Amino acid sequence: MATSVLLACGLNEQKLPGFVHISEESNVDGSFLISCILGQRLRISNAGTLLVCLQHHYQHYFNAGMRLGYNTNIFQGKTLGVIDVLSDMAGEGLASKWLRQSEGQTLTDQLVEDIRAQVESNYASRNSYTVLIDNLSILFNLGASKLQVQQFCQDLAALAKERDNLTVITKLSNSDIYQLTDNNVAKLGQVRIQVLRLKSGVFREVDGKLLIERVLDEGNYACEETRKEVLYKVNDRNVKVFTPGEIGVKV
Amino acid sequence: MTSFRKRTVQKPIRGTRTSPHTAQVITSSGNPYLDVVIGGGLPMGSICLIEEDRFMTHAKVLAKYFLAEGVLSKQEIFLGSLDDLPAEMLRCLPKPLTELETEVEQQEEQQAQGAGGTENGLRIAWRYNDLPLVNSEHATAKIGHHFNLMEQMDSMMLYYANTTMWDDNYKGILELFKSSSPTPSTLEQQPVEDAPPIPGEENTPLEKTQPQEENSANNNNNNNSSSVTSSTKTGSQESQSQVFHNARYGNLLNDIQHLLRDESFVAGTKKNLCRVCLTSLGSPLWYDEHFGEDLIKFLTLLMASVRNCNSVCLITMPMHLIAKYDASLVPKIRQLVDYAIELESFAGSERETHPAFKEYSGLLHLHKMSALNTLAVHMPDTTDLAFKLRRKKFVIEKFHLPPELQESTAKPDSCISGVLSNSNASASLDF
Repeated sequence: MATSVLLACGLNEQKLPGFVHISEESNVDGSFLISCILGQRLRISNAGTLLVCLQHHYQHYFNAGMRLGYNTNIFQGKTLGVIDVLSDMAGEGLASKWLRQSEGQTLTDQLVEDIRAQVESNYASRNSYTVLIDNLSILFNLGASKLQVQQFCQDLAALAKERDNLTVITKLSNSDIYQLTDNNVAKLGQVRIQVLRLKSGVFREVDGKLLIERVLDEGNYACEETRKEVLYKVNDRNVKVFTPGEIGVKV
Repeated sequence: MTSFRKRTVQKPIRGTRTSPHTAQVITSSGNPYLDVVIGGGLPMGSICLIEEDRFMTHAKVLAKYFLAEGVLSKQEIFLGSLDDLPAEMLRCLPKPLTELETEVEQQEEQQAQGAGGTENGLRIAWRYNDLPLVNSEHATAKIGHHFNLMEQMDSMMLYYANTTMWDDNYKGILELFKSSSPTPSTLEQQPVEDAPPIPGEENTPLEKTQPQEENSANNNNNNNSSSVTSSTKTGSQESQSQVFHNARYGNLLNDIQHLLRDESFVAGTKKNLCRVCLTSLGSPLWYDEHFGEDLIKFLTLLMASVRNCNSVCLITMPMHLIAKYDASLVPKIRQLVDYAIELESFAGSERETHPAFKEYSGLLHLHKMSALNTLAVHMPDTTDLAFKLRRKKFVIEKFHLPPELQESTAKPDSCISGVLSNSNASASLDF
């Protein structure tokens, strides 16, 4: 279903790097990656996952998951925890806690607090724990400043460093607009996946390009890293990956 | 104990059906041609953005189709605008065609196409005769209706429509709002006195709609205690001023959320669908110092509300003006909607008189189609689309250039090149 794309990104292992960042260019939809990663984490026994819904509701991930062959409802409340910010805002309207700065706490402060609380209560009983955040640009939309978002990501990166087997995966849309924040957040982790559109236009057999950058060894003076580029196509029930040159225009 | 379970099929919401491709509940946009482009219709919980043409003629037509479809399907309608008079817009909705009229129209079209085909019968590439015509983008839709733009909808249909309108009624109370005095924030109905009456009719349909709305609002209030309602309203006003700099966004969002919280639109219950239509959102009338910030925040909260219940939303925005205000707002806005469709009209441009474009009124650009509640998004056969506003209907077709019958050594015009491709011609291929 989604094994090939996870294999290409190096995210198909049980133990993931501490911090992974997904950059999404404007006019490109990379939310399939979140669904793929979520499915992979849920399939591992006794692996905890926390999904922070900022771009889509939980229902979207449930439906996308059903297409990929897993049912999130089975795991919810057990190994899967959900912070559905969008549903809260829809239900409570403008009085929602995410829109108010209660006791001087900003939106990002409240979110970090909630994530920490979830990790504290679940981490001990799990072999590994993954926090998935989709997506950071909604924080900007809701009024968070660049500094606040940067601080939010640094807090999460610190959380991942504090604990073994804790992974934080963030996604940022419109990475070409929020370039500074995108680069700074990517620096916090070892793996960066860029979801890019095809510069040559729209092609029926390929949706876009994934550029995977992985830091292998960060020394004092030199940094060894690998870069891999693959093309992807999101189908109804799976995601296919091609190496550049594999697929071409059929005459 | 047996594992047998009686299969209970829930009745679908009026005017909706389940898409066989994505298994999503979809509803018609009102225009059958647009439905075909977006994969059968708008999925429930989606937001469709129509980027207005310069003279705002074509985007308004699509908005009217959207509203008219809601009236015919007996769905709840919310119409909000600062630039247009919502009551006037509702009054000018197109008249639906009967099944017989639709059939006759389709037969006439087929005959016209057939006649054209025999006259211009292909003698060299004759095998192409078997293929469907290039401009046969139209397909039969099981949901949705056909409308006649030349005639207006019957007033009795509007009489029974559940409509809620929002406009700049808050102009007068903005000052009060700033001083945080308690003001009612119930669903505002367009005052009937403002709307020009239809000649020859004493009681306009909208006048009759108002008591219905009031009744329903009263019914809702009856369920809750009045003291609680008033206290929450005051709280919401305070939070509005905290969230938005421009109080209009808060008022509009409050009204939409108030309507969408109705139990008939709760997700999962198949009772009714709400159509939210906002025209000319982000026009200069919305401008203030924090325009971009407020607009993006409003759209984020609107997205949260629309996705959380049985509703669909159509927004028209003057994106060319917004791009001039702040170019970075355009991708941010497109990210917050599920469909972003730009209408590029030829009116006022050199293409208007160009022979290659004489058949069309403009080009239709699909900027974004996102997968909502599914993994993959439906992609139309082609993204090179053009539209034409005929006398009776708004047609979307595959864009094609007329055949070049005369040999010429002249280079193709600059305005044609680049139209057929979304790509940058100088860029190298990615594969």
